[in-house]
This record gives sequence, structure tokens and C-alpha cells, in this order.
Amino acid sequence: MLYFFLIRALLGAILSSVSLALFSPFVTLRRVSYLGEALSHIAFAGIAIAFVLGLHTQAVTLVFVMAVALAIGRLSQKYKLEEANTITIFLSVSMALGIILISLRKVYTFDLASYLFGNVLMVSTSDLIVLGVLCLLSLGFIIFFFKELFYLSYNFEMAGFYRVPVSLVNHLFLAMLAANIVINLKAAGIILVSAQLILPASTAFNLSRKLPSMIAVSAIVAAVAAVGGFAMSWWLDLPTGAAIVVLEFILFLISLLLRPKQ
Amino acid sequence: MIRIEDLNYYIAGNPILEDIQLEITDQEFVAIIGPNGAGKSTLIKLILGLLPLQDGKIWIDDIPHLEWLSAHPMGYLPQREEYDRRFPANALDIVMLGLAAETKLGRSFTSQQRERGIEAMHTTGCIDQAFKPIGGLSGGEMQRVLLARAIVGGSKYLILDEPESSVDQPGVQDFFALLKELNMQGRTIITVSHDLHTVSAYCNFIVCLNRRLHCHNQAEMVNAELIQKTFGKAVRLIDKGY
Repeated sequence: MLYFFLIRALLGAILSSVSLALFSPFVTLRRVSYLGEALSHIAFAGIAIAFVLGLHTQAVTLVFVMAVALAIGRLSQKYKLEEANTITIFLSVSMALGIILISLRKVYTFDLASYLFGNVLMVSTSDLIVLGVLCLLSLGFIIFFFKELFYLSYNFEMAGFYRVPVSLVNHLFLAMLAANIVINLKAAGIILVSAQLILPASTAFNLSRKLPSMIAVSAIVAAVAAVGGFAMSWWLDLPTGAAIVVLEFILFLISLLLRPKQ
Repeated sequence: MIRIEDLNYYIAGNPILEDIQLEITDQEFVAIIGPNGAGKSTLIKLILGLLPLQDGKIWIDDIPHLEWLSAHPMGYLPQREEYDRRFPANALDIVMLGLAAETKLGRSFTSQQRERGIEAMHTTGCIDQAFKPIGGLSGGEMQRVLLARAIVGGSKYLILDEPESSVDQPGVQDFFALLKELNMQGRTIITVSHDLHTVSAYCNFIVCLNRRLHCHNQAEMVNAELIQKTFGKAVRLIDKGY
């Protein structure tokens, strides 16, 4: 029984890290890592809404985060707002909304820490299936739209000029990113999820020069860190999500030393 | 043929372009000259559909320009392309963007398309850079890569925004000679420029623009007086004998 429990948690850690790492090169190249950070915090309001209304947490949070992600894009465009400011406003207001909603419940049964820092040991078999499907969908999305994502990341305006359907692909990208963040919250946590969106690609960029190999290296780095972090947390009795992030950071430092000279 | 009718454009209520009427016939090599802030880049961005039309009409081959642009390849070389020098692409990857419009969503480029990319790089003289990372290219080399991207789709029009801005002087002459060659092959070329000396040597037509259109004449008919009128006090012409 313990063995099954451990394998499930380990698989959860690997799938969660890898699915985030697949998006990592695009998030980093497009310089939207702050968006990943913001969406994970915005998810907090979604979690709170589901908690107060007694609804399915993941489904409500997913819809909420996707709606906010699209609203940020639309509002910034329509009212010519600085996107970074709009994102920060939504981030703070979502956190405020979440805190208010949770405080409205008289009986405080909300396990805030597990959402903030994640807990891979809480991953159930059905969560594992969802994570597996997410991983496959993410991989399929990146392979299918590789050309479009490549040019979108290179230069959004010129890609649009040469008739790459930038708006469609960007919306799909945001939706997939939001899904990745929400579904990975349980395993990775609100605070730590954005680290797993940045670190694997930052490491891969030091080791590889082509985008396909960067994506592969990014996924491998994430998988190695997940297994290593899981082992560290088991033997040293540390929180798994934090151990994975620290290990990803150590791998990043090593990659800096291995980086070919410019 | 590109036809512009009754075009006005404002930014925050200030007129940037006023009452522009312009016709550019096929196979012309046109230079748009004028001082800074004359609306030159705005005008070509309007033609390219990169800015929304506010007032007036633009026709390309007698079709409203946005409709034409959504169905035909158009060659464009921006003044300064924003890109991250560490972006993991080689020069050929950037050229291939010029063929994205004819490639279905989710499909990668065929080997025949890549051949066309290589051929375009041959034409613009940057084939040696084809497999080099873009971060290692000089300004002049990148310019030729972007020109290859602009012609690879086979557009009969080529629109350039101050192509001389990222190339040194001998490079500018070579670059305009290359443009002349592309023009002789049948392309209509419209370039925004500051370099009166170079454009008068290579272009057939000169459009003098300073918010309003001051002239659209054959290059040899554009005289000092017209240029003075366009540039106003911003320029004092010195006769160098060319």
C-alpha cells in the first residue's frame, strides 16, 4: 500500500514538472514568465469561489483563470493599458477576493498551506490521470503548433504580418498555460508553480541552441529534478515541491558552468 | 498598382498625414523622402495594413488593400526588427516566415519550400549565413536575411522602411544595387529613405512627403526647390554636383 502511494506521488511529481517544463521555453522566450506567476495567484480567487460555493475546485478555478487571462488581453488591448499593470491589478485583486471569500466562511477548514506550497502526496489516482492527459495534450499542442509558436515567440507583429494566425494561437497558448497552472497547483503550489515554468527553460537555454532540443532538455531537467526532489523529500523529510524547485535551481547553476562560451 | 485616395491619418487629434492622393504603378522603384516625423513610416504601415485606416481608401490591384493583403503575399522590410539575439533560430528559419501564409496551420515547411528559402538567400547574397544563429549576424547580414524573407513568398511588391539605417555607407550602395536588380526582375519597390543621394541614383520615382504630398515625380525631375519645400528649414542643400 505504501509502495503504491509512493509510486503515485512520484509519478504525480514527474508529470506535473514535465508538463510545466514543456511550456517553459515558450514562456521564457516570450518573456511572459510574470504571466505564469500572476495566473497562479489569480487561481487563488478561483479556489476560494469553489470553496465558498462548495463546487468542484479544479473546474471552477480553471474557468476563472482562463476568463481572467482572456480579460487581461482584451482589456489591455481595448483601453490601451500597459499589460504588466493590468496583470498586477488582477493578481492583487484576485488575492484580495480570495482572502475575503475565505474569511466569509465561519468554520475555517481551508488548508491554505497545501495550495500555497503544493503537496504531491495529496495527488489522487484521478488527479494522476488528469495530469497524464494534460501532459499529452501539452505535448500534442506544442508539436502541432510548433511552427506558429516559434514565430509567435520570435516576433509577434511580424508573425502576424506574414499571416501566422497569431491571435488564435496566442489564445490557445494562454488557455493551455492556464490549464497547466491550475491543474498543477495541487502538486506544485501557487507560490512554486512559476519557478517550474522558468527554471527548466533557463537551464535548457544554457545547454542547447535549437528550440526542439531546448524543449526536450527542459523536460528532462524537470523529470530529473522531480525524481531527485522526491527522493530528497522522502529521505530528508522535506516538502516535495520546494525540494524540486531547489534541485531545478542547482541544475540551472550547473548549466551556467557548462554553457558554451559566446 | 497601389492607389491611395483622400487619405488622412491622425494621432491624438494631430494630423500625421493629410489629403494624400498617390498612385504607384507596377514596376516602379519609388522612394518616399521627407524629414523626421513627415509620416513616411505611417504611410507605408497604412499600405501594409499594420495601422488601421481612419479616413480615405487604399487599393492594391484595384482591390481594397486589406482584402488584397489577406489573400496575397506582400514583401516588407521593417526599419528595425525587434528580436532577441539569443532566440534559438538560424537565418533560414527567419526567411521561412515569409512562406508561413501559404503553409497550413500545424504543418511544417516542405523540402521544396526550404529550397525556395535557400534560393531567396542566394538572390539577396546571404546564403553563407543560412545556418548561422541569428544572434551572430551583423546588421547588414540580418538586413539581407530579412530581404530574403520579404521576397521568398513571390510578392510583386516590396516595401522597405529606411533600409539604409542599419547598414554602413558602402553597404547601402550594394543594398540599393540589389534592390534595383529586384526591380528590374519586375517587382514594384517602395522604400522610405533619408538618403537623397542614393535614392536619386537608383529610384525612378521620388515621392516628397511632409505630412502632405509635395511631389511624385520621376527622380530626375525632383529638384532642389522641391526638396527644400518638403524638408523645410530642416535641410540646407549643398550642391555637390550629383
